[in-house]
Amino acid sequence: MLAKKVANVGFEALRVVERRPVGLDELARYPVFPEEFVAFLRRAIPEDRHAALVWAVTVTARNPGGVDGA
Amino acid sequence: MAYFTDAEARQIIRDTYTAVAPGSAEVAHQLYTAAELDGLPPGAVALALGVGHPVRHACLRPGEVVLDVGCGGGIDTLLAARLVGPSGRVIGLDMTPAMVERTREHARAAGLAWVEVREGLMEAIPLEDASVDVVVTNGVLNLSTRKSRALAEMRRVLRPGGRLALADLVVTEALPEDVLRSAPALAG
Repeated sequence: MLAKKVANVGFEALRVVERRPVGLDELARYPVFPEEFVAFLRRAIPEDRHAALVWAVTVTARNPGGVDGA
Repeated sequence: MAYFTDAEARQIIRDTYTAVAPGSAEVAHQLYTAAELDGLPPGAVALALGVGHPVRHACLRPGEVVLDVGCGGGIDTLLAARLVGPSGRVIGLDMTPAMVERTREHARAAGLAWVEVREGLMEAIPLEDASVDVVVTNGVLNLSTRKSRALAEMRRVLRPGGRLALADLVVTEALPEDVLRSAPALAG
């Protein structure tokens, strides 16, 4: 989905260079998520999804045109 | 389905990132190597809020001009500045004034005079067309209510042949609606 959005605006040479699951325990380390919010997520989301709630994806791409040796 | 207007979303995000206190640096130690973190201002390390390491994948070279979209506390901005060196330039962009000031402070503390930090929106990047070699962004695109517009802006400011390295969170299975309606979910 992310790569498709990148391609849709005209980038080329797309590569998904990293893709890893992010679970609730990892999200809890981010100070933007209050403890009560993480507790709410634990209650609201089935336990079998806690280890891979979302995915961290890294995409590289190139703007068309020009010459780039990278 | 949008649960927040653009204005509501921006206010929630600004409020969240203005108030955020530096964390335990666990996030930084998961994403970056000890060598990369060595010598960085502790505040930049403790405010690492990214989800990947796009700078690692950007293949930066001395002399390049880099834009860090949503620079936050500035850790990726500083790492990019080390790699492009004083012959290059790194522009950090953030819509939250408190984060802009933090990155400025961290760049000063690190002695990276070729870092410039601007306040602005990723959907209206305050730079000329084709003015940067590389765009990096880390855990920021998901904060936009207009992601395609933000990506189009990143492409607009890249020179022909310029490179994008983007890390972000992706949801592959629908989250409950009461989660999607919550402000912390939006801001994170």
